[in-house]
Amino acid sequence: MKTIDIIRRAGRSLRHAKARTILTSLAIAVGAFTLTIALAAGQGAREYANTLLTSNIDPQILAIAKDKSFFEGGKTGPQEYIPGSSTIARPNGALVKRLSQADIDAIAKRSDIVSITPTYAINAQYITRSGQKKYTVDATTYNSGITQTVIAGSLPALRTSISDTQIALPEVYVSLLGFKTAQDAIGQTVTIHLERTPNITEAQIQQALATNNPQVLTALATKQTKDADYKVIAIVGKSATALSATTSVEISNNSAKELSDFSTIGTDNYHEYTIATASVKPGVDPAMVKQALVNQGYGVQTAKDLQGLLFTIVNTLQGIVIGFGILALITSVFGIINTQYISVLERTREIGLMKALGMRGRHVSRLFQFEAAWIGFLGGVIGSTIAVVAGLSLNPWITSTLSLGDGNVLLIFQPIPIILLIIVLMLVAMLAGYFPARKAAKLDPIEALRTE
Amino acid sequence: MIEVKGVTKTYGKKQNAFLALDDINFVIPDGASVAIVGKSGSGKSTLMHAMSGLDRPEKGQVVIDGIDILKLKSKAVDRFRSEKIGFIFQSFFVQANESSFDNVSLPLEISNISVKARKKRVLEALQVVGIDDKEKQKARNLSGGQKQRLAIARAIVNRPKIIFADEPTGNLDSTTGATIEKLLFGLNKQSGSTLVIVTHDEDLAAKCDMRIYIKDGKIDKIVSEVE
Ligand SMILES: Nc1ncnc2c1ncn2[C@@H]1O[C@H](COP(=O)(O)OP(=O)(O)O)[C@@H](O)[C@H]1O
Ligand SMILES: [Mg+2]
Repeated sequence: MKTIDIIRRAGRSLRHAKARTILTSLAIAVGAFTLTIALAAGQGAREYANTLLTSNIDPQILAIAKDKSFFEGGKTGPQEYIPGSSTIARPNGALVKRLSQADIDAIAKRSDIVSITPTYAINAQYITRSGQKKYTVDATTYNSGITQTVIAGSLPALRTSISDTQIALPEVYVSLLGFKTAQDAIGQTVTIHLERTPNITEAQIQQALATNNPQVLTALATKQTKDADYKVIAIVGKSATALSATTSVEISNNSAKELSDFSTIGTDNYHEYTIATASVKPGVDPAMVKQALVNQGYGVQTAKDLQGLLFTIVNTLQGIVIGFGILALITSVFGIINTQYISVLERTREIGLMKALGMRGRHVSRLFQFEAAWIGFLGGVIGSTIAVVAGLSLNPWITSTLSLGDGNVLLIFQPIPIILLIIVLMLVAMLAGYFPARKAAKLDPIEALRTE
Repeated sequence: MIEVKGVTKTYGKKQNAFLALDDINFVIPDGASVAIVGKSGSGKSTLMHAMSGLDRPEKGQVVIDGIDILKLKSKAVDRFRSEKIGFIFQSFFVQANESSFDNVSLPLEISNISVKARKKRVLEALQVVGIDDKEKQKARNLSGGQKQRLAIARAIVNRPKIIFADEPTGNLDSTTGATIEKLLFGLNKQSGSTLVIVTHDEDLAAKCDMRIYIKDGKIDKIVSEVE
């Protein structure tokens, strides 16, 4: 018997048992729905992550730490003490080594590195401007490797920093600092105020005591302050495709260094940095530079590594959803086995007749397997169609709810994975139909056609 | 020519062993109409199953056109049945959910006949049995007589050498039964195929060229009007 004729007969017998066929395939449809959504969400999330990274991060950028344990969460437990090496405790108790100024200088000297910027610790007390209240502030280094959404004013092109007298403010400070509009703030001067408790040496104390003048002693113990003035160059807004919605004010590398040095001079933190960002010379493969630095003992991550990390997260989440889909499929497999066994029982006579007429057991078996495959096909088509229709109509809502930004969608349906999914479902259904089909194939026609 | 030589069939084992066919021997010439006659439980159906390659008795030979079908491999037996044998059953055994056309088409599909040839031969067969107007109707919607006509169309569509009919009129009223009998004997005469009817009905048996009487699995007597 020709396969096409078997398939036609399989299709017809399913049509004759419509209710049962549809109910059985609905079980598969649940799995198909979940898997289609999982595939679409995974694809969407990966593309979104890619958009985020490519539109935000300069591919030439490297994140550098003292050793590779930094990117692994740091080492916990006691470690060998190395003189001169400085560590800092992470909230989880792990210790991470810090980069020294010597490390920074050494890396900066490399010919394949354009610039290196440590993350400076700046303990600013407040930000203000004349005639306005004071507000707490977090100052960071302007990152020339990341694009930002500019609301007013303008920022320099990628890989070019702002000047030492300039500052970029997040949108919240516009009204806090008494500007009517974001545009009004551009070109205006703001002040960042720093304080530090003095680090007094024994010699200084003795000297002060020697003067026998209490004012000298008071002066020595008085907090030291610094007011740094900057001109607002841009107001930065929240961006849908920004990696972090920044609430920090941004100042140039030199300014940040100056402020950081002021707050840390005389402390353990002076010229010690947990992490630094370096820019690799255009045309040089960041992976090569990474390897060179890793060989020197540094911990280094490239923009690609970050992408890999994000993809790992996306893939893990996708894997979980796929797991649920597979669970639904396993349930539906039992549904198919059950349905097909009942079908074989109900059609004992028919099977006996077909075998009496000379149909091979193999072909009888195939008839039932194709019926199962049809059920798989139907379930796959129903499930994935509902998923696509629901997904496409929900996409705008998801995009606005998650603030993904215009043009970005979470669910991206691609025809080839869906077609492959349906084929896989048909194979799974055929597998489920194997045992009932074998029972049908082994049926003895004489027994099946016995009437008494 | 069908030669049945020493066919013996036992059901069950040891103490439960039951001799359903006991050393059956006879020869049926080509084109004959033959009745296998006997009471219920005498072994008629068992004999028919052995002669048609549905069953394998443990002893004996069934030689059809020089080939012992009991020695064939299962694939060859299936092929033999699909090409050489037509079956008609007491309970019709038509596929209720399939159309008349698809019922009759089944043996041709099993024999890998092309779609075009199939269409022609199915319509011819339906015409021969007189239900060509029911081509597209589901078999379930046919009357008993029409169902048996459909079964006959299915039995003859592949132009078999031998048609086996197990109590073909057993489930029909006498008028309908008579028309079915007429149809069967007409086909037997026209096509030259051999017709083997299993029956306990003496009147039907009397219309056959040859009568093989079975009693408790043994041949009681053979009455033949052909040489
Ligand atoms: N599968 C079987 N197992 C045991 N005994 C059987 C089986 N099939 C038939 N028989 C017995 O064999 C005898 C002949 O059966 P059968 O050929 O069907 O008789 P008939 O067709 O003449 O009514 C009966 O006594 C029946 O009970
Ligand atoms: Mg019988």
